[in-house]
Amino acid sequence: MGQKRGPTGDVIHERRRRDDGPIHDVGVPEDQDIDEDFSEKLVVPKHATMDAVAQSHSFQRDSVSYIFGDHDYTWLPLKQDHESRPLWITEDGHIILEGFSPIAEKAIDFLITIGEPVSRPSHIHEYKLTPYSLYAAVSVGLETEDIIEVLSRLSKVPVPESILGLIRDCTLSYGKVKLVLKHNRYFVESSHPEMLQKLLRDPIIKEARLIGEEETNQNGALITGKAPNAKDLLIPGVKKDIPDPNKVAAGASAAAGATAGQDGDEIFAVVGLDKDDDDVESDDVHSFEISSSSVETVKKRCNELDYPMLEEYDFRNDTLNPDLEIDLKPITVIRPYQEKSLSKMFGNGRARSGIIVLPCGAGKTLVGITAACTVKKSTLVLCTSSVSVLQWRQQFLLWSNIKPHQIAVFTSDQKEKFLGAAGIVISTYSMVANTRNRSHDSQKMMNFLKSREWGFLLLDEVHVVPANMFRKVLTTIAAHAKLGLTATLVREDEKIDDLNFLIGPKLYEANWMDLASKGHIANVQCAEVWCPMTPAFYREYLRENSRKRTLLYVMNPNKFQACQYLIRYHEERGDKIIVFSDNVYALVAYAQKLMKPFIYGETSQQERVRILQNFQHNPKINTIFLSKVGDTSIDLPEATCLIQVSSHYGSRRQEAQRLGRILRAKRRNDEGFNAFFYSLVSKDTQEMYYSTKRQQFLIDQGYAFKVITNLDGMDQEQDLVYSTPAEQLSLLQSVLLAQESEADLNDDVEPDADDLTGNTSRRSGAVAGGSNGAKRTVGGLKSLSGGDQMAYIEYNKAVNLKDKDKNKAEHHPLFKKHRNKK
Amino acid sequence: MVKAVKGVVVECDTSVKQIILGLNEKGKFIIEDLDDTHVFVDASCIEQLRFDIDEILNENTYNVEESK
Repeated sequence: MGQKRGPTGDVIHERRRRDDGPIHDVGVPEDQDIDEDFSEKLVVPKHATMDAVAQSHSFQRDSVSYIFGDHDYTWLPLKQDHESRPLWITEDGHIILEGFSPIAEKAIDFLITIGEPVSRPSHIHEYKLTPYSLYAAVSVGLETEDIIEVLSRLSKVPVPESILGLIRDCTLSYGKVKLVLKHNRYFVESSHPEMLQKLLRDPIIKEARLIGEEETNQNGALITGKAPNAKDLLIPGVKKDIPDPNKVAAGASAAAGATAGQDGDEIFAVVGLDKDDDDVESDDVHSFEISSSSVETVKKRCNELDYPMLEEYDFRNDTLNPDLEIDLKPITVIRPYQEKSLSKMFGNGRARSGIIVLPCGAGKTLVGITAACTVKKSTLVLCTSSVSVLQWRQQFLLWSNIKPHQIAVFTSDQKEKFLGAAGIVISTYSMVANTRNRSHDSQKMMNFLKSREWGFLLLDEVHVVPANMFRKVLTTIAAHAKLGLTATLVREDEKIDDLNFLIGPKLYEANWMDLASKGHIANVQCAEVWCPMTPAFYREYLRENSRKRTLLYVMNPNKFQACQYLIRYHEERGDKIIVFSDNVYALVAYAQKLMKPFIYGETSQQERVRILQNFQHNPKINTIFLSKVGDTSIDLPEATCLIQVSSHYGSRRQEAQRLGRILRAKRRNDEGFNAFFYSLVSKDTQEMYYSTKRQQFLIDQGYAFKVITNLDGMDQEQDLVYSTPAEQLSLLQSVLLAQESEADLNDDVEPDADDLTGNTSRRSGAVAGGSNGAKRTVGGLKSLSGGDQMAYIEYNKAVNLKDKDKNKAEHHPLFKKHRNKK
Repeated sequence: MVKAVKGVVVECDTSVKQIILGLNEKGKFIIEDLDDTHVFVDASCIEQLRFDIDEILNENTYNVEESK
């Protein structure tokens, strides 16, 4: 996924700001100045807007050259022993890896650190070097020369000059300066004193500097100290008795060096370097202190000076913020990849801010909890909806030994504070970012959140939140370390890059295929089923405008039959099936015709719970129909088969999130078990276009979509719906009579009906900001007059009350007593 | 007097047939509508017809390259 860069970089940022406009208006006076600074444009270092550019070469073109165009690399000289080297590196920053090479696994470890995975099917992987990925590499401690050395050892071809240039430019200044919070004072730290001197010559930074008492006599001197290491830090949940260098974060460097040395193989030894990285910087470090009020200014200034600062939190030496008694339960064991991701975060004994990318159902929550258990300070968890708030709370209680009174929940209907000096607060983005009128209680809660320092800020599903909402959160909450969690770091707009600078670099991205083959997530067979349009429907399709077209291709009788056939087939196999339809009209029509329960935005809370419980426990209910309320934050490990009838245009994220619903299938470890993902597509319609586009993300993760043009045995099937022309015609009539607005995909999900269990989430802000500019939504009178907005909190009272009852039932009686006392 | 028109039988699937019928409304070239999958058209229009159908079907094809 290439970004637009180069000379147009500034223009893009300008446009972004305008996009962000409406939501930006919610700014409150108290943090206005910070906001204004930010709103000018997102400050990114200038190298972030450069790219490795391919140069044209004159070389002998042969008969097939024209097929490859600019990507003809036949002229690249091969090294003599190229067969034992797994990489191809091209001039535009793409790296192709032979996944079958014996040292591929180690090469992958290295590449994932320095590059962005573009596409990862089983045998050939493609990575891309970008300034952002190199920035991330530096942040985990890799040095310029190490990167270049390893690359040239692994590469079949000499590393092109342009790539060497890119690496040098991007890594020399990146990550060399760190912003460290130690003893609650901010320090700018670097192992290169000359860089700090350079920064200090800048008037803005000079002003921000605090001169401590201990060096009043020698004004220009820097504070010198020992670099941190991970000696006595253990990530909880790691099996300590296995002396595997990959297992234990502490001592990893020493052990890795030893094993690599034994291998005797040059290449391995160098690959080992990225574990050795902490030794490289273990010389003296130098630092100067800056005042906490000027941290934002200094950060911004450093970006302008092209010395972006990494943020680290020395949580073990933080004595001011009280420790939190939290640890994983002894039975909790984290999986190797979860450990790996955490070791990237705590690599040098301090907490780095960044993003961890794991597939849905691969245990993101546990990673977050383990990180919180490692930091052991007050933690603020932000997620997207109040359902996930409750899920997070449950998970914390399940995996860690935290006491219930130490976890507080802050949603529209629950505003608790934790007891004691430190604790955990779980809330939603919109609750915290909201700056409109609040009720008295939530204002009190907000003041509480703002008034204290947070050791650790955990951001769930970071991909959904618009950048400016983040900015709001990050400027109002004082947090030392930030960790973002997501499954799908793609957006149809190009706003992912903003996250890099708001939270931190991507620390780790798991390989879906790898996890599936190891049984951590289910194996999924993906198929796209082509359903031909019936002539009558297609005739109308060709005549109608584009909105009505949507309805026609979704209601295609052949699709109906295919859906019925697949449901029948999989029910007989004993699968539990979820059918997704974004279009509510179709959802209701399908579900009623096939006599299956369905849930959509307007389904009441009790009804939802009843249907979901029946689906989970009642052997007679094996199929449910869900609108897009079920896309995220629904955990149904029983589901093993998924049929998609209609979807939200070309959204790659939705496709991946939906697949996530079956990745955690309970039965995934049964012998030869496969989960099934069907996408029903009407042939010769726009749906084909969207469908292919949607699949791109999963294909890049290595999933293969089979195209089924004809379902075997469907013609022999008895009593399929709409099998006679007369029935089809009457269906067509009713579709044509349907309101045009029925074709809209969005009318279902009202802001407060957004999550499956019917709790309020008020994501309207997030949805509006996160979507593409081109999306059209039809709003009711209520939303046009602002009735959906947060100011009208009373509107949801009825729903909230219901939730309250539910939550009350969950509390332990003891805990209830505590609360009432308070 | 007998008038002869040179024609071509086009075999297609049902949806393409609908596209052809749609195109026929703009400029008549169908000589005889045979059944769901066959149609007899004026031979002189065949090139144009081919082009038009390609155009319409291509609208529904997603090209990975163009997105990059």
